[in-house]
Order: sequence, then structure tokens, then C-alpha cells
Amino acid sequence: MGALVLGELEQVVLLAALRVGDDAYGVTVLHEIARQTGRELTLATVHKTLARLEEKGYVTSRMGEPTPTRGGRRKRHYAVTPAGRQAVRASLAALRRLARGLAVGWDTP
Amino acid sequence: MTRPTSPGAPPPAPPRLAVRLLQALLPAADGEALVGDLLEEFHHRADGGGAAAARRWLWRESLVAVLTARRGRGAPSPHTGGSPMRALPADLRHAARALRRAPLFTAFCTLTFGLAIGAAAAIFSVANPLLLQPLPYAKPGQLAMVWERDERGERINVGFATFDDLRHQARTLAGAAAVGGWEPTLSDGEAERLVGQRVTAGFFGLLGVRPALGRDFLPVEDAPERTQVVILSHGLWQRRFGGDSSLVGRTIRLDGAPYLVAGVLPAGFQSILDPAAQIWRVLGYEPSQPWACRTCRHLRMVARVRDGASLEAASAELDRLFALMAAAHPDDYKLSPRLLVSPMRDEVSRRVRPVLLAVLGAVGLVLLIAVVNVANLQLARAIRREGELAIRSALGAGRGRLARQFVAEGLLLAVCGGVAGLALAHALLPALLARVPEELPRQGDIRLDATALAVTAALTLLLGIVVGLVPAWHGGRAALFGVLRDGGRSGGGRRRLRSALVVGEVALALVLLVGAGLLGRSLVRLLSVDVGFDPRQLLTLEVQATGPAYDSAASAYANRERLRAAVAALPGVVAVGTTSQLPLSGSLDEYGVRVEGRPTETLRIASGSDRYVVSADFMRAMGIRILRGRALAATDRDSTPPVVVVSASVARGLWPGEDPIGKRLQMGGEDTPWREVVGVADDVRHSGLDATVTQQIYIPERQWLWADAVVTLVVRTRGDPEALAPAVYRTARAVDPTQPVARLRTMEQVVAASTAQRRLALTLFAAFAAVALLLAALGIYGVLASLVAERRREIGVRTALGATPAATLRLVMAHGARLAGLGLVLGVGGALALGRLLQGLLYAVRPGDPLTLVMVAALLALVAGLACLVPALRALRVSPMTALRVE
Repeated sequence: MGALVLGELEQVVLLAALRVGDDAYGVTVLHEIARQTGRELTLATVHKTLARLEEKGYVTSRMGEPTPTRGGRRKRHYAVTPAGRQAVRASLAALRRLARGLAVGWDTP
Repeated sequence: MTRPTSPGAPPPAPPRLAVRLLQALLPAADGEALVGDLLEEFHHRADGGGAAAARRWLWRESLVAVLTARRGRGAPSPHTGGSPMRALPADLRHAARALRRAPLFTAFCTLTFGLAIGAAAAIFSVANPLLLQPLPYAKPGQLAMVWERDERGERINVGFATFDDLRHQARTLAGAAAVGGWEPTLSDGEAERLVGQRVTAGFFGLLGVRPALGRDFLPVEDAPERTQVVILSHGLWQRRFGGDSSLVGRTIRLDGAPYLVAGVLPAGFQSILDPAAQIWRVLGYEPSQPWACRTCRHLRMVARVRDGASLEAASAELDRLFALMAAAHPDDYKLSPRLLVSPMRDEVSRRVRPVLLAVLGAVGLVLLIAVVNVANLQLARAIRREGELAIRSALGAGRGRLARQFVAEGLLLAVCGGVAGLALAHALLPALLARVPEELPRQGDIRLDATALAVTAALTLLLGIVVGLVPAWHGGRAALFGVLRDGGRSGGGRRRLRSALVVGEVALALVLLVGAGLLGRSLVRLLSVDVGFDPRQLLTLEVQATGPAYDSAASAYANRERLRAAVAALPGVVAVGTTSQLPLSGSLDEYGVRVEGRPTETLRIASGSDRYVVSADFMRAMGIRILRGRALAATDRDSTPPVVVVSASVARGLWPGEDPIGKRLQMGGEDTPWREVVGVADDVRHSGLDATVTQQIYIPERQWLWADAVVTLVVRTRGDPEALAPAVYRTARAVDPTQPVARLRTMEQVVAASTAQRRLALTLFAAFAAVALLLAALGIYGVLASLVAERRREIGVRTALGATPAATLRLVMAHGARLAGLGLVLGVGGALALGRLLQGLLYAVRPGDPLTLVMVAALLALVAGLACLVPALRALRVSPMTALRVE
């Protein structure tokens, strides 16, 4: 049985990183969250959450190439690990169980 | 959508400071990717929406990033502690989150601290230049004032001969200067009376001040016939001469005569002996002159102690020299048996010290109350958060860790309060300055400067730590055991502490209220003092007759008569008089008095009598009652026998048990005419409403030794004197447009100005006391409210067992009454102890005035009662069922 192993922010960031896929790094995750949920996070929050997810083993990261628009700074690319996918699935399942029977359609994936 | 950046223009740059800040403050491991992302997003936004919005966004992001930065990966977890300093940012972040969750509490604490810190910062800014800062002169510690002292120990001025002897004989002094008053009329352009000083040539050198332009006075100029040399203040030079530097070396016209402008002083210079002075002239006295005599005490003596010599040594030497002088001239120093050497900085604070110290004391009490109040609220919060604390404690957060969190919260609250307080002080200072008595020196230095900011910051930190330590000290113990054991119904010990804090608050509030009450009653008593004349419907203004046109006394008298006649002809004017000085205006013009047929040794009046040279109608215009004999009349002229009217106290002092009418006296030197007493007038309060010594001698205008250059016109009006002021001003100016008219005020304004210090002290005390009362009431309310909440079950059981509403009400009210009562008792003790500090500001009221104590205690009891009533009524609504269902 899955549990609510993820915080709300972690869930949001992890889902967004999954949607963005190969190109997941701070800015793209931020944009995806804004596009899908209308929520304006700060980049610092996104980074902190990603770092926390990495500590927990739900994402891995690697440094990319520097680009001029970034003032010559490198990107940190993120990829969701299997454990990460599992955690999201467990979290969502837990939420669905919580919603079960409350209203028509709330518990369907 | 228009793009703000046209093709070819350089792309908008991110704010460089923000980027630097990020680089400096972010941990290297996380920093690069985050800063890169920030820059990328910045360019994205700048291209899409506008550079300014993008910059704002970047600044906001940067602040968040810096404030929430993780200290590298693997930072100490909140449960394991780590070194306190390294954990401080984490503690502060945690505290910030906790406070954000309690916005009402945070707002209230910020307000409490803000009020207290704001008051402290504002009052400190006022007190700092007056009490603490050194004088704005070179080596200020060496500067001293030298006074003679009368039998009562009061400071009196020195005569020139005394000054001259002392400065030549004293070995411990590097130099000395004499300063006298001078009020010349500037007659270039619109006539204006200036406030100035006459000083010996070395005055500025003694202070270590050099003219910014031109030169200092030369020693050779400090001689009779050479004295028409002046130095201007920077302000006067700018205001009247447009800052024209070619003025130096030219002459200006003062009192109709040419004066050479030798120099202009630096912009920051202020003569603390007369803060309003803007022009200086050499004194130019010589011991042989009649006005340079030993008893011609109208000069102030400033001295600088020699390098290596102490003030004490100088004081001892001057005392010795003065004793020799007094032995050589016994007649001249009868009235002033001793000398007083005091640090010059005392001149700045002497008169305001009692007020400032009392107000600083009041600020201290307000700060204490604020600390007690916030500590109290923190304790209440700690009780509500017992669950959270116990769990954190159980999870391994040590007592130190929990204590640190309380201190962090206290610090954050104090910093919020400190910021609010500085804003408040900034807003309050102008209002405060407007109420500060005019004659107070160094007002220009009153501001929120670096010292004030540093003191405020230190105070803020101190408050924060104290406020954090109280619940920390108490919370650390109880957290784990109490709550987990009995499921959250403990807290008895803390309630006792909270109760103690409330008792303290009530006591402190009472002390402040008593202070305000005593000052208020003093002022009421003072204002109801019989001043000896009727200050209502009375207009006063200074007029003068100076310059070559008025060299003869006859022309000055003629000018006065024209003035009085012109003003008397105005509709609404009842009577008009002129006088050489005005009661309560701060003027000082005392003369020794000699009684016919009696050796001078028996002179009963210590420091002489106020010389009032007046026109015949002066007494009628002022409303001064004649008790015996007759008033002065227009028929008392230079050709008729000299007469005077004396005040009742003079009559009593000079002729006790005798009829003064027909007696004769001399005023001034032995060669002045004998004057016959023709009447006795009621005593007038001359030097202040609280002055006990009031002795006036009224002399007909034409019978004095000379025509006074400046006199005060007093106008008794039928209606509102202010309504008549413009007409009186225009009329007075029209009599001779070359002569300035100054200080147009109603007599009630003069009286009010003479009590400015007391009013300021009272206003501040009343404001502080009101804040204290409010905080104490909130404190009582808070404790009782939580008491009722905690004892719901007990109250419910009692109700179920048949307790009447009255009994329940009594239960809660009695608890509140115990707190308030104990606070009142302690407060009365404190008020009695501290009341003595106010002694100097009280008038006809003792520090332990029972009526004030009773009234204040009653007020506090009433407010406390109201504060108790709300939770008590809430207790009544506790139904037995709800209470029993709690478990």
C-alpha cells in the first residue's frame, strides 16, 4: 500500500519534471508548473525542492553546458528515477483513496 | 505587444548588484545552476514583458533565494543541534515561519515593541546632544563656566572687574572670556532686531572656533571706542546678505551706526550660551568704566582650563582668588559669598535635565512594560504550543535547541518592532521638536543619527533576547514532562509566571500614571496661580527706539508717547502701557536697593529688585492691583519729585511692620536720586509661575536714569487680543518704519511659553501612561481569558453543581482583582520611591500626593475591572454540558 511520502511541493515539482522529460531543469520545471497549475513559484523554491528530491533519491542530476543567456553558467539537468516515479504513483494513489466516495469521479485516475 | 528593446539595441542587463549578492551569499554547490536559471528567466521576461518588470522580478527572486538558501548539502538537521551560531539562520527561518502562522500575535507584539522602541529612539535623539554628546567645541572637557553664587546658592553673573581680576591672576586657566547680551537693530534693508552677544576678543579662540571667512576679533579692538566690529553667523550672512563674501571688510548699519564686518562663522557654529545669537560684537570694557564695576553683574564668564590642569584644581584656585578679592572689597561681594566653577556642558542641560531624566525614566518604564507584555504573550503562546514543543522535544530537540527557537522568535519580534519604532521615531521627532522649549540649545543636533540608530539597534537586540529567554527558561523545563503526562492541562507554573508578569505590568503602569497625574496636577495648580495681573485679553509686543534719531532721551520718550497714543486710538483697545520688562518673559533686570536712614548691611533683599520702568497706564493695562497709596501718574515727570510704587513683598521686606508710603529708597548706585514710595502694588510673578521671590519696583518712565531702547507695549483689549494683533502691529510699525517690532504675542502665550518644559514633560508622561494603561489592560485580559479557557471544565462542573452566575463571575473577577490589587500595591510603593525623581518638576504637589494616588489607582482599577469583565462574562456562557464533554 502506497503512502503520502511526498510533500505537496515535491509532488508538484516531481510531476512537472516528469512532464518536461529530458529537458528538465529549473526554468523548464518552473514554466511547466505555471502553465499547468497557474502557480508562480520562485526559482529558489524549485531548486530547493529538486535538491531535496535528489537527497531522497527520487531524481538524479548532471551539470550541462554553459550558455550565453545564462551568463556563462551551466544548467543542472534532472531526471526522475524509478523510485521517484514509484513515489509519485504512491502519493497519487493515497490521495485517490482519500477522495474515494466523496464525489462522483474524484477517485478515478 | 510592443517590445521595449528594438533590434540592434543591447539586451537589457540584469541588475548587477543582485547578481553579486547571489554569488556572494549562495553556497557554491547550488549557486551556479540557480543563478544561471535566474539569468535565463530574466532574459526571457525582459524580452517578453519589459526590462523594469524583469528587474523587479530578479530582485524579488534574489532576496528569496538568499534568505532561504540551504547552507550546503547535508546541513545539520533541526533535531541534532550543531553549533548555536551556525544554526542561527535556521532558527530564524523557523521562527519566521512560526510567526507567520500567528499574524495577530506578531502584529500585536510589533506594535507593542514599536511604540516602546519608537518612544525610546525619539527621546534618546533629544537627550543625546543635551546630556551625552560633548560640546561642539575644541577639547570641550576643558571649558567651564564661572559664576558668583548668592546666599541661596543660585548662580549669578559676574561684573567685569571680577572677571578681569580672575583671568589675569588664575594660573590654572589657559584663558577666559566674558559674554554679555546684545540686541542690535539691523537697519540695512528692512529693520530687524537681531539677537547677539558682546564678547571679549578671545571668545572664539577660547572655544577653538575660527571664522570660516575673514578674521577673528583682534585684541586691540577689545577696547572702548574700538568696539564697532562684528562677526556674523553663517545663517545671518546667508539670510540678510545673500552669502556675499565681499561683505567681509565692509560695514553694515546697526542701530544706525556703521559696524565693520570682520568675519563670518562656520555654518555649524552655535553659541550654547545663547542659541539664538547670530551676531557678535567685541565687549570693549575697561575696569574704569562705571558699568565694568564689581557689582555690575551682567556678564557670563567662560574659562578654559590649562592643559594638564583639572577642573577641580582650577575651581580650587579660583575660589582662593575670589576669597582674597572678597576680603579686599567686602561691600561688593556681600551678596555673593562664593564662586561656582561648573563644566560648560552643564549649561546645555542644566535647565532641561530634570525634565529629560524624568522622561527618560518614563521611557525606561514603557520599555519594561513592553518587554513584560510581549513575554507574557509569548508564554501564553508557549502554553498553546505545548503539543508542538513536547513532540519536538520528544524527537530529540534538546532544551537548548528549544530555547534558541524562543530567543530567535523574540529577536525577530524585536527587529520588527525596532523597524516600526524607527519609523515612528522618525515621524514623532518633528512633533517633539515643535514642543521643545525654544531656549533649549543644540536643537539642530537633535536627529536620528548613527548613535541613536546604534542605541536603538542594541536596545532592540536586548529586548528580543530578554523576551525570548523568559518563555525559554520556563518552557524548556515543562515542555516534555508536563504535557505528555497529563495531556495538556498543565501550565500552572507558567500561569503563575504570567500572573507575576501581569502584576508587574499593573505596577509599572501605575507608576507612570502617578507620574502623569502628579505633573498634571502641578500644571493645573501652576496655571491657577495668581500671577498678580490679568493675562487674558492682553497683547504684548516689543518696540524700540534706537539709532541716531533717538540719541536724546526726549526723542525716545516722544516716540513712546506717539506709539501709545496711536495704539490707544484703535477700536477695541481699552488701555495701553509700556514697560522696560515684561513678567514671565524671561527678562532679568535686577538692581540693588538702598533704604534711606539705614546702613546697607541691613539690606533685606538678597539679589535686588526687578526694575520696572513703566508708563503711567501700564498698571491699568496689565490689571495690577494697587493695594495702598496711589498708582504712578502721567504727571510724574522729570521735573517732579522722583516717586516709585513698590510690590507688597518689597514693602514687607524693607519696612516690616511699618507704613512704606513716604519712605525713600535708592535703586542702582549711591549717586542715583532718592525716590519716594507713593504706592504699594500686588506682587507679580516675574521669573516664573513657580517663583516665590517676586519684588518689583515701578518707576515712572521719565524719572529713570535713561530712556530704555527697547520696551514692551502691553495692550488691554476688549475682545480677542489675537484679532487685534495685525492692527496693533501695523500701527506700531507706522509710527516709525525704521524701527522693528518684535515678539508680538498674547500674554496668555507668554504664560504658556513659561511653562513649555512642564507641558512637554506632562504630554510625554501622559502619552506613555496611556500606552502603559492599555498594555496592562491587555495583559490582564490575556491572562484571565486563558484562565477561563483552561478552567472551562471546572467552571462547567461548578455550574452543573449549582453555582450561580454571580458565583462564577466572582470566581473570575476575584482572580483578576487579586492580580490588579497586588499590582496596585507594588505600584504605589514604586510610585512613592520614584516620585522623588519628579520632585523638581512638581509644584504645590508632594510626590506622595494622596489624592493623585487614589485617583490614579481608581482609574487603573476601573480599567482592570473592564479587562476582567470580558473573560468573566465568557465564563458565564460555559454550559455544564460543553464543559463535561471536553474530555
